Amino acid sequence: MTQHAITVSGLRRTFGSGRNAVEAVRGIDLSIAPGTIHALLGVNGAGKTSTLELIEGLARPSEGEVRVLGMDPINDRAVVRRRTGVLLQRSGFVADLTVRETLQMWAATVTDARPVEECLAMLDLEDRAGTKMRALSGGEQRRVDLACTLMGRPDVVMLDEPTTGLDPESRREVWRLIRGLRDEGATVLLTTHYLEEAESLAHQLSIMRAGQIVRSGSPAQIVADHPSEISFTTPDAALPAMAHGLVRHDGNRTLLHVDDLQRELSELLRWADSSDVRLDRLIARTASLEHVFLAIADEREPAQPTPRILEGSDR
Amino acid sequence: MTTLDLAPASRRVTRLARTNTTLLMRNRLTLSYALVMPLLPLGLLFLGDRGNVDAASGVIAAGFLMALMFPIYYNLLSMFVSRRDELVLKRLRTGEVRDVELVLSMALPGVAIMLVVTVLTVAVAMANGLPFPLNPLLLLIVVLMASAAFAALALWTASWTRTAEAAQMTSMPVVLLGTVGLLRPALPESAQDWLSLLPGAAVSDLLRVAWFGRPAELGTTTRFDFWETWSHSAAALGVLAAWTLVAVWLARRSMRWEPRS
Repeated sequence: MTQHAITVSGLRRTFGSGRNAVEAVRGIDLSIAPGTIHALLGVNGAGKTSTLELIEGLARPSEGEVRVLGMDPINDRAVVRRRTGVLLQRSGFVADLTVRETLQMWAATVTDARPVEECLAMLDLEDRAGTKMRALSGGEQRRVDLACTLMGRPDVVMLDEPTTGLDPESRREVWRLIRGLRDEGATVLLTTHYLEEAESLAHQLSIMRAGQIVRSGSPAQIVADHPSEISFTTPDAALPAMAHGLVRHDGNRTLLHVDDLQRELSELLRWADSSDVRLDRLIARTASLEHVFLAIADEREPAQPTPRILEGSDR
Repeated sequence: MTTLDLAPASRRVTRLARTNTTLLMRNRLTLSYALVMPLLPLGLLFLGDRGNVDAASGVIAAGFLMALMFPIYYNLLSMFVSRRDELVLKRLRTGEVRDVELVLSMALPGVAIMLVVTVLTVAVAMANGLPFPLNPLLLLIVVLMASAAFAALALWTASWTRTAEAAQMTSMPVVLLGTVGLLRPALPESAQDWLSLLPGAAVSDLLRVAWFGRPAELGTTTRFDFWETWSHSAAALGVLAAWTLVAVWLARRSMRWEPRS
């Protein structure tokens, strides 16, 4: 019935040439339904931004095809740009302009722009309107940036790490805004390395590693086939053989990976009770996106330390 | 399609150019360079003997070349480099505005100053007993073509200028290219012919033809009429056009919109 808002097939992107060539995007397929929020998730260097730039039409793919609203973002540039809003991971403003002047400058480039005052209100920037850009905090600049992104009432919004560097309160504010966009029917494609952000916002996730999408689906689907975990300080007594599951040791802790958390936990507690064993610092939890993500990120190079998924505020 | 695109494109260019003009006005140092440097030589008009066309045309040419160097060339160079390094250009390029429109909007305030300087120069010259330009249309063509050439040279220079501070050094070759023609009278004739091939020299020769109806050589009694100014400007116009084409070609192939990572 409906056409996808964004489709990508066989997408590849190579930087450099000859022996120095690096393939940052290695064959990506994506279909994003209109009115949904889709998150590209991955550690730094996984190829999220490189992929996004191809979809935004800022660079030409070495192979493959991108369609945004059924059109080619480079060949049909004028029409596509009028209906999309882009937020770069890092961008800049003229330091000598005030917030209002910055928005007016951006409005000069937008067909049928939202009034500047409306943009100020939308991003809660009214009392900063007369402030020079150079005097704004990082979070405030990000909000001005977002106001520019949304000024043309875009049908498709592409956000590269929209909340990186924001304080928790501003982050939630941006989440609210993104949900608002979806409620008005816009399609949102965003990249993030905050797992809770992806989990709480996105209908669909694509987890990227080394230029490829290695897992995709809804957050629930992705988590579903991943085992739950029980952990506790390893007791002196030997554990009973677990009927279903995997036992691992991590320092002085024992970790059990089980499929049926309730049944296995009950069994464990009954054993502990009857054997008079104390399970110190007992934790039982259903798999979270974080577990899955870490497992995926580690998959091929298990020797690597934990990936740096929650940096972010340092840039 | 092209005609449909033209209206929004020119709206974007004029509105962005207006913001860039505001910023130029706000930057006192750049503004004073842009206005004072071209007008400074005109003061000499009041000192020399009135009506000496050779001296006056030299002074006026110096003013024009300063206007090409400061509001057009150096202003665009430093604006482009600093906006590029601050990722302002990268951000703007994600929107509807096209590259050529961005460039135009940054060059136009300088061109406007160039035109203001031209008008002021004519006024000051007439106040000193010099005639109104003989062929104002030719003069306008020269001003616009030279503006395009030096704006394009600014973009080319920007492509290998790392920071706005570095522009003070990297601008030197083009500044020489633009101004060394003024030294011709002091040099042997064999060198003069070669120097006449430089863009700044072509501008000052064209100025003499278009304004005073005189050939490039000083001290002659030759006078062209309006129609002769066209034919006698052909060679220098050709030189200027060639520089403009080369500059645009250089700018297009070296254009860099993001800082080197």
